[in-house]
Amino acid sequence: MAKEKVRQKKMTVRVDFTPMVDMNMLLITFFMLCTTMIKSQTLQISLPSNDKVEQKDQNKVKQSEAITFILDSDREAPTTDKLTGQPVKGKVKKDLIYYYEGQADIAADASGALTNNKLKVTEFDPGTADEPAGIRKILMERNKEVVKQIAELKEHWRNKEMTDEQYQDRAREIRNDSTLTRPVVIIKATPDASYENLISVLDEMQINSISRYQIDRMTAVDSAMVLDYVAKHGGHK
Amino acid sequence: MGRVKVKKKDVFIDMTAMSDVTVLLLTFFMLTSTFLQKEPVIVNTPSSVAEVKVPDSNLVTVLVSPKGKVFLSLTGSKDSTYSSEKMRLSLLESVTAEYNKHYKTPVSFTDQQKVTFARSTVIGLPISKLGEYLDLLGQNKVEKADELTDPEKNPNAGIPIDMNEDLNNPNEFQIWMNALYDLPGDAAFYDDIISGKAIALKADKSTPYDVVQVVMDNLQTLKMNKFTFMTALKTEK
Repeated sequence: MAKEKVRQKKMTVRVDFTPMVDMNMLLITFFMLCTTMIKSQTLQISLPSNDKVEQKDQNKVKQSEAITFILDSDREAPTTDKLTGQPVKGKVKKDLIYYYEGQADIAADASGALTNNKLKVTEFDPGTADEPAGIRKILMERNKEVVKQIAELKEHWRNKEMTDEQYQDRAREIRNDSTLTRPVVIIKATPDASYENLISVLDEMQINSISRYQIDRMTAVDSAMVLDYVAKHGGHK
Repeated sequence: MGRVKVKKKDVFIDMTAMSDVTVLLLTFFMLTSTFLQKEPVIVNTPSSVAEVKVPDSNLVTVLVSPKGKVFLSLTGSKDSTYSSEKMRLSLLESVTAEYNKHYKTPVSFTDQQKVTFARSTVIGLPISKLGEYLDLLGQNKVEKADELTDPEKNPNAGIPIDMNEDLNNPNEFQIWMNALYDLPGDAAFYDDIISGKAIALKADKSTPYDVVQVVMDNLQTLKMNKFTFMTALKTEK
């Protein structure tokens, strides 16, 4: 028998990929819905230590430099939790920031109203870049020497005259430069204030390059001042 | 007249290219994704301009619900010697020992419960109720277990916490947090706690300040003065 080559028929191998694509699409959808692409940011904070500090060891803040913010929120009437029967705070109607400079000394007249309440009120709305308002304006004015130098530094950095690291180091130096007038900010909050307000204020510290700030507890004097302010100007309490 | 025969064309789209693209996308999503962690309460964090990312290892997240329920989750280091599972296991052991020292009704966990605990992500029940929860998880009754930690369904959900400055009579939150100091081995974890990187407070925007303050005061009492607030990214105007 003569050798005969068996001609193999050339078949077009054509696989239908449609189901494969369908499946992939499903998987992609699943991954897209189940993942977090954006990681949360963190805002670092150090609270003062609880240890009792000897009076003489304490660094007294200069009166002229200190400014105290008291956060508060006007809330709707509280409701009761159905499950536990505990009262739950109502929704926030309006956020307020009270502030005063220096130390709080109060004196009351015969009717109990304070005669020297130096509390003022401001808002969270930061205004625009050209015309800062509310809390940002207050902080910027008090920290203007630092803010100005940081702005100049930022300009150099934007023009690529220095590396990121140099910029960070220099910025830190400026923020902590004791020859400049820098405010010391004390942040307090009433129980009604919301967590968001606290973060907003801490954020303002970053935005306005304030190096010295701390979160503190309300004192009786602070509460008295807020109550007095509300009594005089009308409000929710 | 004969009919004009319409030639039937074979509509066959080549899906190979499409398939290539989808597989690429799929690979991308699989590699970049970190899964959303299931949390007992959904919190909407406030935003800040802070640029520091949340670390993916050596992290303790303190989740605070708007009604003041506290949940903990612990992520170990990337190094498998001190993986999340191992750290959780030793955490549970030291917490049990500490709890039995201070509370009259002692608790103990079976090996099975311990293994389940090491795998679960969120701690959100009083220690006395933890066994029941772990049993449910171990039997794969995830929904029932989730109901236990859901503050909307179980009034006892969350780690008990109160204002307490006496560490000789710690509350359960303090027991948990204090145990973090002595987790065996990983020195980096201890350093991160001291420097404040390892503790992140996560709370909802609307959380009233008094609720947050209880947690902050507790951390202060535990000498965890430095910690971070978890926030979402905000772009500066």
